[in-house]
Order: sequence, then structure tokens, then C-alpha cells
Amino acid sequence: MEAYLVAIGIIALIYVLLSLGLTLQYGLTGLINFGHVGFFAIGAYTSALLVLNGAPFIVGFAGAALLAGVAAWPIGLVSLRLRDDYFAIVTLGFSEVVRIVLTSERWLTKGVQGIPGIPRLYSGLGGAAGQLATFATILAVTVVAAWMILRIARSPFGRIIEAIRDNEEAVQALGKDPPRFKIQVLVVGAALAGIAGAFYAHYITYIVPEQYIPLVTFYVWMAIIMGGVGRVSGAVIGSVILMVFLEGSRFIRDIVPGISEVDMASVRIGLVGLLLILFIIYRPQGLMGDYTKR
Amino acid sequence: MFYAQLFVNGLFQGLVIGLAALSITLVFGIARFPNAATGDSMTLGAYAALAAHKASGSFIVAGLGAAGATGIVLLLAYWSVFRKLANRSVVALLVASIGIAFVLRAALGVAFGHGQQVFQVPLSRPYLFGGLRILPLDLQMALVALVTLIAVFGLLYLTAIGRQMRAVADNRDLARVSGIRPGRVMIALWLLAGAVAGIAGMMLGMKTIVTPEFGWEMLLPAFTAAILGGIGSPVGAVVAGLILGAMQEVSTPFVGFTYKIAIAFLIMLAVLLVRPRGLFGRVEGVR
Repeated sequence: MEAYLVAIGIIALIYVLLSLGLTLQYGLTGLINFGHVGFFAIGAYTSALLVLNGAPFIVGFAGAALLAGVAAWPIGLVSLRLRDDYFAIVTLGFSEVVRIVLTSERWLTKGVQGIPGIPRLYSGLGGAAGQLATFATILAVTVVAAWMILRIARSPFGRIIEAIRDNEEAVQALGKDPPRFKIQVLVVGAALAGIAGAFYAHYITYIVPEQYIPLVTFYVWMAIIMGGVGRVSGAVIGSVILMVFLEGSRFIRDIVPGISEVDMASVRIGLVGLLLILFIIYRPQGLMGDYTKR
Repeated sequence: MFYAQLFVNGLFQGLVIGLAALSITLVFGIARFPNAATGDSMTLGAYAALAAHKASGSFIVAGLGAAGATGIVLLLAYWSVFRKLANRSVVALLVASIGIAFVLRAALGVAFGHGQQVFQVPLSRPYLFGGLRILPLDLQMALVALVTLIAVFGLLYLTAIGRQMRAVADNRDLARVSGIRPGRVMIALWLLAGAVAGIAGMMLGMKTIVTPEFGWEMLLPAFTAAILGGIGSPVGAVVAGLILGAMQEVSTPFVGFTYKIAIAFLIMLAVLLVRPRGLFGRVEGVR
């Protein structure tokens, strides 16, 4: 039972990391990133491949953050001139292209077979202790990330990105350069997603392109919409609710017999869709305009 | 000759993309948001067509079933969701349309299972046109697409409701003060956009295998064609779909089969880089 809770805790913290990145990008800056899972995937594959080829974990994680951040840079560069809705479609497209590359470049990623046997963190400590140490590490990283985003939000930089979110033309008129700030925000958020990906790869120990479908992006969106957009606490609470939702649906199968694994996958997708719709209609405060203060 | 064959095959594929793009562009022009549920609406159309075909054995009934079922479901989506968000930002509608897409996919997955389904299409010998091999099925589907296009353009340009739709696309406020009731226009829009997407889905299903996810995969090519054709321009959407289909097929020998969608994405990026607000600078509506 404890092992189960720690396992859920690790996955929940991975989602918190992802949500924090999106909170920075969408909540604070208003960037509609529908391709978050793409940066998550880049991080997972980068760290897995580096570590499998003999690099120490720290290099794997740094590589994951770096490559995910670097990948965000050209995406930002080309798509920042676009209208909100085009930006959303372009980022969604980016994440799908990442998945296609992961599927197609077998020499590197082993395609649909995926990469098995990725080393775990602290495997030397043995099962339970190693898992606990992993949990402690990701918790520490998440706390640092949350603290960093709170600091960013309260800094002059934070005031500018929030001003960009609220009225980009006005910021421009003040002589600031919104695209530069947006790219920085995109890169930082993507790097966070990359780190989350590295944790995921080294925890699950097996990665396949199929894990990086757009649904994951919308899990994160669901988390921040439910938790309250633009708030660090919202990202945390939203991720916890998301975890309850994802894990809880597993128990539905135990209670209601006769639901197959694939049917359950459908039911989950449907519930995500339904929740997105209901929140957009009935709890729009989180999403539109009226951003609550931290 | 090899490339000519690919080009022609691409044109037939492009018809599907073009119809999907037409559905997107109609919604974008009149309801003013990118409808991410278009892909999964196509999936719905394909399953509806499969069911209708199994029941009747007729592809005409299948097409009508696809158009009818998808049109009605999107109309229900409008009544229950999009109408409530009419005065909200584009992003609210976009997120809601993704929600609808997921709900549709889930419902189809539960109802029809996740196995691959195929249309029972009789095998037939391809026609030869000076070395070009063309399947009778492709010609029949081109005919279906043509009939659909004629029906859509006839509706848009020859009927009163079509004129009202174009007026709303052009200038919503002006249309309203001219006594056009937006509610009726929206009902017509969603029935039409749904019917077009449904038929596109049936065509895609006849060319490939039907799974609950297969329509979603068409979303990027369809958006690309809608943007390439100039958002809000029905003719542009169809032409851009044909161009995109041909480009994807002709490039396949160079980049491989799996990178088709990546090509669509790169074309979309290239177009948006030149015209960041879409080819026509702003939403100009259905013309």
C-alpha cells in the first residue's frame, strides 16, 4: 500500500512539473501551448538514450532539459507572430510531429517497439528505499520549480509577462519586446516538461511513442483548468485531482466488472472531454480573462 | 510516369483533405473558431457509413447515413456547447471543441470497439489512362466528392439560407441588423459542416481502415489545407486540399510514408510564416 502511494506520488509530481510549465506559459503569459507532450517526450527520450549509453543521470536530466528547451526555441520563433488559435494548432502539430519522428527514426528510438530497460534512479538502494529516494528527489525538484515560478511571477519579468497576457499591444507601446519574453517563457516551460519527461522515463523504465499522444497534453490542461489557471497552488491541486481521476478510474474497473482495458481507455478520454467542456462553460474564471491573483 | 501516378493518387487523397478543410473553413468563417472536433466527426461519419452500408448494402445510403448522422451530432454539439460559448474567446471554443472531439472518440470506441473495420468494397481492375492506373473506386469517390461540393456550393450561393450564411460570415453585426437571425444560420451551418465532415470520413474510411482514432490523424492536414486555402474561403479549402494531397504523395518516395503529416505541418508553418494571420490577413468569411 505504501509502495502504491509512493508510486502515485511520483506520477503526480511528474504532472505537477508539467502543470507548472503550463502555468508559466498559459496562466501567466497567455500562450496556448497545445504541444506540451512533445517537450515531455523529448525529455524522456533524451535522458533515456543518454543514460543507456553510459552518461550519468545528472547529464541525462540536464540533456533532457536542454534539448526540450532548445526545441521550444524555433517553435517559439516561428509561431509567436501567429494569432492565438493558430499558435495552438501549430504547437499541437509540433507534438504530433515529435511523435512521428519517434515512431519513424528506428535507428535512434527503436520505433513503436520502444526503449526498454531504462535505468532507475537509486537502483542501488533496492526497491522500496530507491522508490522513496526517487520520490524525495522529484519532490525537491518540484518544490524548487514551484518556488522559481513564484519568484518569476513576482519579479519585474513576471509583471511584464502578465501584462503581455492582458494586453500585448500596450506592452509593445511601452517599448518592451513581447516576443522575446514569450520565447523565454516557452523555453523555460519546455525545459520543465523535459525534466518531467526524464523522471518519467527513469521511473517507468520503458518508453514508447504511444505514451506521448496529445491526450497527455490535455490531461495537463485539465489539471490547470480545474486547479485554477495562473496559480502555482492551482497547478498542484489540479494535478492531485487529475491523479485521483486517473487512478480512480482504475478502481471503477474493479467495482464494475466487464469493462475491458480498451473500453476504460475510451471512458477516460470521454471523461477528459466532458470535464474540459463543463469547466469551460461553467467554471471559466480559471481559463478566460479573470485571472485570480496568486 | 511514377511521379505522375503518385500525383494522381495524391489528388484523390486530396479530395478527402479538401472536404475536411471545407468543413473547417465553413465553421471558421461563420462561427469563428477552429473546430478541432472535425477529425473525430469524420470518424463518426465513417462508422455511420459502415453501419448504414451493412444494413442496406448501398453506398448511397451509406453516404446519406454519414452525412445525416454527423450533421445531427454536430448540431447537438452546437446546441449543448458551442451556443453557450458564443460570446467568449476563441480559445474557449477551441478547448470546447477538443472536449467534443474526445467525447465523440470515446463514444465511438465504446460503441464499435477498437478493432479495425473495413468497408466491403468489391475488388476491381484499375482503368488504364495512357499508363496511369486509376481505380474505379477512386473515380466513384471523386464523383461523391463532386456531388457533395456541388450541393454545398449550390446551398451557399443559390439559396436564401446560403446567402444569409455568407452575410453572417462577412459581417455578423451587419447581418443581424439586416434582420438575419443568427440562430437559423448556425443550425444550417452545423448541419452542413457536419454532413461534409461525415462524407469526408466515409471516403477516408473506404480508402483505409476505420478505427476510433483515424479521423483525428486527419486534423493537421485538414487545418493545413484550410489555412493554405485562406481561412473562410470554401473554394480555397478544396483546392488547397488537392494541392496538399498531391504534394504529400509525390514527396513520399523522398521522406517515407510516415512523414506525410509532418509535411502538412511544415507547409502550414511555411504559409503562416509568410502570412501570420492566415493567407487572407483576417477572417473574411465565406465568399
